[in-house]
Amino acid sequence: MATTRFLEWCGRLYIWLLLAFLYLPVIIMALMSFNVSPFYQLPFEWTTEWYALLWQNDQLFSATWNSLEIAIITTVIATVLGSAASLALYRHEFRGKKVLQALLFPPIAIPWLITGTAMLIFFFGVGIGRGLFAILLGHVALALPYVIVVVSARLQTFAPELEEAARSLGANQWQVTWRVTLPWIMPGVIAGGLFAFAVSFDQFVVSYFLSTPGQTTLPVEIYAAIRKGFTPEINAVSTIIIVVSMALMLLTARFFKFGGEK
Amino acid sequence: MRMPKLTAFLTATAVFASALAATADEVHVLNWKGYGADEPWAIAAFEKATGNKVVNDFFNSEQEMLTKLRTNPGLYDVVMINAAFNDQALAEKLIQPIDVSKIPNYADISPDKAGSPMLNHDGKVFGVPWVWGLTALAINEKAFETPPTSIGEMWNEAHKGRVTIRDDAVEAVQFGAIATGQNINDIKDMEAVKAKLTSLMPQIRTFWSSENDWNQMVASNQIDIGTYWSGSADRAKTHFKLPVSLVIPGEGAVAWLDAFSIPVGAKNVAGAEAFINYMIDPKFYVEWVTKVGAPVSANAKAVAALPEDAFNRKVMGDPEVAKRIQFQAPITDAQREAYLALWQELKVNVK
Amino acid sequence: MAGQVATGSRRGLRSALPLLLPAYLWLTVAIFLPLSAMVFFSFMTELPLSGKAWSFTLDNYASFFSQPLYLTLLAASLRLGLEVTLWCVVIGYPAAYVLAKVLRGRSREAIFLLVILPFWSNGLVRIFSWAMVLREGGILDTALNAVLPFKINIDLMYSYPAVIIGLVHSYVPYMVLTCYLTLQAIDDSLIEAGRSLGASRLQMLKRVIIPLSMPGLVAGAALIFVPVVGSFMEPRILGGRTGTFYGTIIEDQFVAVFNWPLGAALSFILLAVVLVILALASPVLRRAA
Repeated sequence: MATTRFLEWCGRLYIWLLLAFLYLPVIIMALMSFNVSPFYQLPFEWTTEWYALLWQNDQLFSATWNSLEIAIITTVIATVLGSAASLALYRHEFRGKKVLQALLFPPIAIPWLITGTAMLIFFFGVGIGRGLFAILLGHVALALPYVIVVVSARLQTFAPELEEAARSLGANQWQVTWRVTLPWIMPGVIAGGLFAFAVSFDQFVVSYFLSTPGQTTLPVEIYAAIRKGFTPEINAVSTIIIVVSMALMLLTARFFKFGGEK
Repeated sequence: MRMPKLTAFLTATAVFASALAATADEVHVLNWKGYGADEPWAIAAFEKATGNKVVNDFFNSEQEMLTKLRTNPGLYDVVMINAAFNDQALAEKLIQPIDVSKIPNYADISPDKAGSPMLNHDGKVFGVPWVWGLTALAINEKAFETPPTSIGEMWNEAHKGRVTIRDDAVEAVQFGAIATGQNINDIKDMEAVKAKLTSLMPQIRTFWSSENDWNQMVASNQIDIGTYWSGSADRAKTHFKLPVSLVIPGEGAVAWLDAFSIPVGAKNVAGAEAFINYMIDPKFYVEWVTKVGAPVSANAKAVAALPEDAFNRKVMGDPEVAKRIQFQAPITDAQREAYLALWQELKVNVK
Repeated sequence: MAGQVATGSRRGLRSALPLLLPAYLWLTVAIFLPLSAMVFFSFMTELPLSGKAWSFTLDNYASFFSQPLYLTLLAASLRLGLEVTLWCVVIGYPAAYVLAKVLRGRSREAIFLLVILPFWSNGLVRIFSWAMVLREGGILDTALNAVLPFKINIDLMYSYPAVIIGLVHSYVPYMVLTCYLTLQAIDDSLIEAGRSLGASRLQMLKRVIIPLSMPGLVAGAALIFVPVVGSFMEPRILGGRTGTFYGTIIEDQFVAVFNWPLGAALSFILLAVVLVILALASPVLRRAA
């Protein structure tokens, strides 16, 4: 057992190293939001000026708010529709299924720049135009393939016999899905939702094409700011978002189980 | 779906959509972000003086600006166009003649700028010169005891891996033209330009694309010398207190002229005229230079209103400098693509 | 085995439609139709928006084959995609295993969420932060020199490794989460049974664990490889003068010279190549499973 314990210890250490790698840029981003120099210049000099400026920056605030709203709605819609589609692809055999599965890749493979341009032209042509609604339309479509691919991966591990058993015990289709299948694929649905949120919240290119002056999102504001007069206000707003979502996530982890624990 | 129909449909939809968006006393301005027209203090002063409300929209490249004009007819009242693109905008019927009698400050614009053939066609004015500047060299003061005077400094072995130029095909090729002693608007020996740029590649640390890139690299002491815009170099020095100074090499530099135009179908032409007048006003200009840092105004009175030792007056107004610089003329699409092909080849071969 | 069609699973498109339709309808309106317009453009000489005369042509596709530049860059991009994917497997798979099989309870749920959280900050700001770590006199350089007894110069900024580091950082969470999803589903009693029958850890890994978690690996690899091949932002900022890839020249065609037809043609060639690679890879991977 000693080796097992040692290996487990190594595993834990490894996870922490990975988290350190993942969080390194985030920590620097947060530190630089308290640094005087807008060019990430060292030595570090403490200031809260950027947070004070952020407080007065209505444009950045409203863009952040738009981004949050769109990301949350995108996450909900894409997760629900995507999970449903994954179930359909898993349960049913039909001609053209391979084609439908292959069709999930154009939105991922074609650079977002081209997809964004295409959306701009097409939405214009059919009268959807630009604005927050168009952005939402685009984001959900970009997030859907991620959700479907991720949920499908989880479904591959599902034993169809479980559904059969439940059915033979008299459960109807709805009950089977709700009580048997959904709990099993829950970790996949959560992961898909997290990806959907990330795709939408950090989506710059498509939002850029579809936004109008009053209706922009945070990444669009950031990109425009980087051309001229980038300020660590952007670091400040990103830091606030990360800290708040981390608190929410840890609370969620404290009160809900979704990791697939039996 | 047949294409002409689609185009007509696009236009119709756009007009309809923008008709809903714009109201009479709003001035819709299309410009680079952070380029004077969106300064909060300036907008506040203009709105107070005229009662017009300013709505800003931005572009990130000249091509994008043209696309925005094409796809949003009637939405914008004022658009800032680099003079070298004025011809193209006019040819596509995107901009209309300007009645300069409605713009009192127009009379003070220096005659060489106001009379630019790029902005005047058939006796009509299609662009009001606003500011001009240079793409020249800038140095990291920490790396030089005395500022260099020649463009050849970029090729100096001592700066290997510490040179930067903008990731822009046209600018790179025109720079190569200056370095090989050619006219930037009439490059005869393209092979010489190519050879010159090829030998520059190993010197380069990275390509910059925004002011922020340049400033970050200088702040962390990663570069010695590179191409930079005159207004940005001034801003880096005076506003951000970075060790940057501009060098106008003896071989010359690329100059550009930015002008305001009024798009076809603008809803608030009177507001547009008032806005353009305000943008070339000496009072606005002095405040812009002092608070933020700016290129050189095309308005002679505005430049004269600056303190005598101001960079934009002393250096940029120097007749010796005026002799060396070459203003960018319009470039055809074919030239642009040829430049891009050359530039891409250079970038790929360096890998 | 799981994943195959069980006897009771119903056949036919009709019964699948209610669940399938909403998602694909949405994709059709927002992606497939707009992209079809792009396909249309890719066969044109000029963009009709600019008001010039245009006609149909195959030149845009032909220019891909006539200019060695494009092929060189496509090869470089495919190599980049492959390398990033491999690094993500090497780094991400063990982490997913630990998360699924070693950690228990609340900490597992928390880490599951924490892995993706950095990606809720802005991508550009993250790349700038990497610049600060990797450059000479940056954080990595300073930290290593503080620990090591001898002086070394670390300057990874504006190099190929910097591009790899930035991209691996951006994409490794995909691998961790997709592999977790399939690894967690493997019954612990199966592993215990194998072990009690005398299988070594390595044998178990090779014969049981990797094959059973293959769907997650494949999904993760596809979600990483595909976008990395077309990426241009990270290479451009982190790669410096070595940062020119296939995605960069597509971007140039759209942004710098307004040649949408050529840009669109180049991106559909990219799509075709990527789909062919996925199609070729999937039977190989399935056999491996």
